Amino acid sequence: MEFKQVIGLRRSIRYYQPYRPVEREKVQIVLEAARLSSRAVNADFVQAIVVDRDALPAEDRESLKTPTTTAQLDLAPVWIFWLIDPTAPRIGQSSLKQLVDVGALTPSHGWSHAYVENVVWPQVLQPILADGGTAALVAAVEAGLAINQALLAAVDEGLGTQLTALNAAHASRILGIPEHLIPIWIQLLGYSAEHIEAGGQRPRSPFEQIYFDGRYGTPYERDEEVVERLRADGMLMTEAPYPWRKEELRALSRMFGLPE
Amino acid sequence: MTTADSLAGQETVGVWLRAYDAQWNVRQSDGETRAKLEVLARFCGACGRQPDELVAWLFRPTPEGPRIRLKRRREVMALIDRFEAENGGRAAGNTVRSFLIHNGVALSAPPLR
Repeated sequence: MEFKQVIGLRRSIRYYQPYRPVEREKVQIVLEAARLSSRAVNADFVQAIVVDRDALPAEDRESLKTPTTTAQLDLAPVWIFWLIDPTAPRIGQSSLKQLVDVGALTPSHGWSHAYVENVVWPQVLQPILADGGTAALVAAVEAGLAINQALLAAVDEGLGTQLTALNAAHASRILGIPEHLIPIWIQLLGYSAEHIEAGGQRPRSPFEQIYFDGRYGTPYERDEEVVERLRADGMLMTEAPYPWRKEELRALSRMFGLPE
Repeated sequence: MTTADSLAGQETVGVWLRAYDAQWNVRQSDGETRAKLEVLARFCGACGRQPDELVAWLFRPTPEGPRIRLKRRREVMALIDRFEAENGGRAAGNTVRSFLIHNGVALSAPPLR
């Protein structure tokens, strides 16, 4: 699939074909995409556990749900638990020197082993590590970058996907997650039972309302020709709801015996 | 004894029926409404609470607004599961779930697979 189409087609899918397994190679591709995301300090801010829904005892499955996380967990056959690691920059001394060695961080931009050793490590990374709030914030952003690539890779593989909330305490207990890692999302994977466009692209705030030119408050003008090109390329699609969306949802609810 | 007729004046029942119609762009017939109210009446009889009372029992007032009582929500979900098994199956259970959902109690049912 073309890159712009992947972006345009991504939706949070909430109805999956519960009987159709996800090929193991597709799961691997999703993980590979996350592994290659942009990341500070070249550190592993995010790790993941892949879980087969039916391998979990029913009681454990139930305990992972939150009030807003319900039927989609029962429907999706594969769950990826994304874990963030606020302590990831602890490897910064060696990982940054490695980036210098492989030519990613260069002297032309001021980088050297000495700079890492004498400045970045003691003056930047150690203070971040010492401040739990900042460390978690950094880790959450870095994890988000990786998880988004995983979402897009899933779409590219023809899968439905969604991030869903979880009961983190129960997840840690059930999956044996070490204390320093925080379960942040479950990414569901499966074949979509709803139309892949899921009723249309979700409404967004107007472009000029959130993007500025030169100074906060000065709208960045949206060029309609670019908009038309993105429509032609499949990145911008018809906004939700499609006229038949409610009928689709009702039919899905009835098919799965879910409340209306 | 709780009957379909006795539920008509309950505020939460009105909220439910109006919200359902608005959600699905439908206008339920009197017969459909009556059938739903009969199911809800049977459930209320089984749980010993009228609809308004049941919804109020599931929320705790806070300065920020009403908050769901999770333990009670779990109790009611289990009660609905039992009611469903003994009183007409999934359709009956989902009628009760629909009533609660449209009154702000987020819950679902195990999908039929």
